[in-house]
Amino acid sequence: MKKIFVLVLILAFGFILTGCPPRKVVLPEPPKPVVTPEEIKEKAVEVKPEVKPQVRPEVKPEVKITEQPLVKAEPKEVEAPKYIEEKVVFKFEDIHFDFDKYDIRPDAKPTLKTAADWMLKNPAAKILIEGHCCEIGTNEYNLALGDRRAKAAKDYLIALGVTSGRIEMVSYGEERPFCTESKAEECLKKNRRAHFVILKEITNK
Amino acid sequence: MKEKLKVKSLKFKVFIISFCFSLLTSHFSLLTCEAKVYIDISSPAFKKLPIAIPEFSGPSGKEISNIIRDDLEFTGLFLNIDRSAYIENPSQSFNPRNWSPIGAEAVVKGSVKEERDLIVIVSLYDVFEGKEILKKEYKAGRELIRPLSHTIANDIYKTLTGETGIFRSRIAFVAEDEDGKGIYIMDWDGNRITSIGLKGNIILTPRWSRDGSKLIYSAERNRQWSIYLLDFMSMTERKVFSSKGTNIVGDFLPEGNDFIFSSTKDGNPDLYIMSLKGDNSIRLTSSHSIEVSPTVSPDGQCIAFVSDRGGSAQIYVMRRDGSDVRRITFEGSYNTSPAWSPKGDRIVFSGRWGATNQTFIINPDGTGLTQLTTQGNNEDPSFSPDGRYITFTSDRDGFKGIYIMRANGESQKRITPKNLRAFGPRWSPM
Repeated sequence: MKKIFVLVLILAFGFILTGCPPRKVVLPEPPKPVVTPEEIKEKAVEVKPEVKPQVRPEVKPEVKITEQPLVKAEPKEVEAPKYIEEKVVFKFEDIHFDFDKYDIRPDAKPTLKTAADWMLKNPAAKILIEGHCCEIGTNEYNLALGDRRAKAAKDYLIALGVTSGRIEMVSYGEERPFCTESKAEECLKKNRRAHFVILKEITNK
Repeated sequence: MKEKLKVKSLKFKVFIISFCFSLLTSHFSLLTCEAKVYIDISSPAFKKLPIAIPEFSGPSGKEISNIIRDDLEFTGLFLNIDRSAYIENPSQSFNPRNWSPIGAEAVVKGSVKEERDLIVIVSLYDVFEGKEILKKEYKAGRELIRPLSHTIANDIYKTLTGETGIFRSRIAFVAEDEDGKGIYIMDWDGNRITSIGLKGNIILTPRWSRDGSKLIYSAERNRQWSIYLLDFMSMTERKVFSSKGTNIVGDFLPEGNDFIFSSTKDGNPDLYIMSLKGDNSIRLTSSHSIEVSPTVSPDGQCIAFVSDRGGSAQIYVMRRDGSDVRRITFEGSYNTSPAWSPKGDRIVFSGRWGATNQTFIINPDGTGLTQLTTQGNNEDPSFSPDGRYITFTSDRDGFKGIYIMRANGESQKRITPKNLRAFGPRWSPM
């Protein structure tokens, strides 16, 4: 039984000594013998530290710095545009919105009525509604807001009888301002808008 | 007799077990008190550590030692002692104790040799104890002089603070040139700005995967908003999601196989989680309002996002499954662009303050609101990987550029040049 005890002690002390983290090795001070109260008490047990003596550090680990070079990335899929803008046929006016709002204002309704009437008279025509915002605020939120504005205009046209398949939508958020002259409210309010584009389908040659 | 022996042996076993246990615990206490930390950066009352970084000897020695000095200085944890105050002549033999009269507590010595590579030998000294606490040799090609210097700064930082430095981290961002907008990568200090060649009519803030191997971002090409993935290993871009309407990515989930995004595919801007393979889309919100800019907490359990469901753009937090939605911002009528700190204990965001957008920080429970910026418009804030710094976009100098600052708002500076219209920065995770 005593043998087991001695063995356990030796193992335990060995664990203390070998378990030191490597950081200790870096310090250039002579190793102090590890003496714990347990060791003094158990004089009968001879402790043989099983660690190599700590040498004065001649630590010079070599670090090679490398880096993956940034080569140009190639996009895998390039989408071809389906439509181009038809500029000559007809031009709708922009409709405008209040700051951070996407409900159709009363002053926008006549324009939407004109657009719907034209769409009903030209059943082959397709339009794109662009949603735009002023530069106030955050890109991502403004893109969602621009989407809501385009959707509000689209829903209004649908309510006036235009089929939804003839209306495409895209949000440009604050990225394509109409007025860039100043940061004054006069200019910013012109940018909170939905813009209508008549589309022409690109036919393959 | 046999019974007695059994009892005795049991007692002995208990004794051995408890003895081993006490040894084990003393072992652990040895472990915890082992590393000397020169600056306790977690303590609010830490004192800046005065450090001297004399010009390294040899070719490019000045450049390397200056980069190291600038790195350490930006942290705000060190007091760099001006080189004009040094009293030890470079021709004298070096003795760390000679540096204590000028107030230095640590000295960095270095020498550079140029063979096929640059070889730098660096020593860091504890002035009080007069001993060397770090000695290392570094090797790198001439073109990697900045990463080389940042690596040395990281080792010095780690030795003195016990924490991992961010000096080799990078920032991904969007910049505009004559071909439209593209994704760029630069070092955290604004050096080595590189276009990676990906373009779009509009590209939004890219987000890093947590292992730093991928970027995910939204781009508008030919009137179509899609979500794209860039893999740095193969340097290829792949479309991971597209549908009619507006699709804007928010974040990777921590496991790296899924991403969270806002899409109008079902009519309204709502939040979805989808796998990178493009299947298994899970819808998290369904309201008639705007839900956008979702960002996942570091533990993957919570999502912060922007919604106008209360009548104005505000920041909300919910569980990953979409339950337990709570609004956390109540000041002001326009709060957007949330980003979590790496520990998950703070959220930085952009809020409308008077007539401008400013950077604020808040606890995820809605307490502790603090304003960090005051000049110009400040947007797209996000944290550095150690949570000690924030990068953001500002137009305070008359054009959009990328800025960094300490997470308490100190040391705000632009890191992109005047002639580059840059925005949407995100710090790499390592």
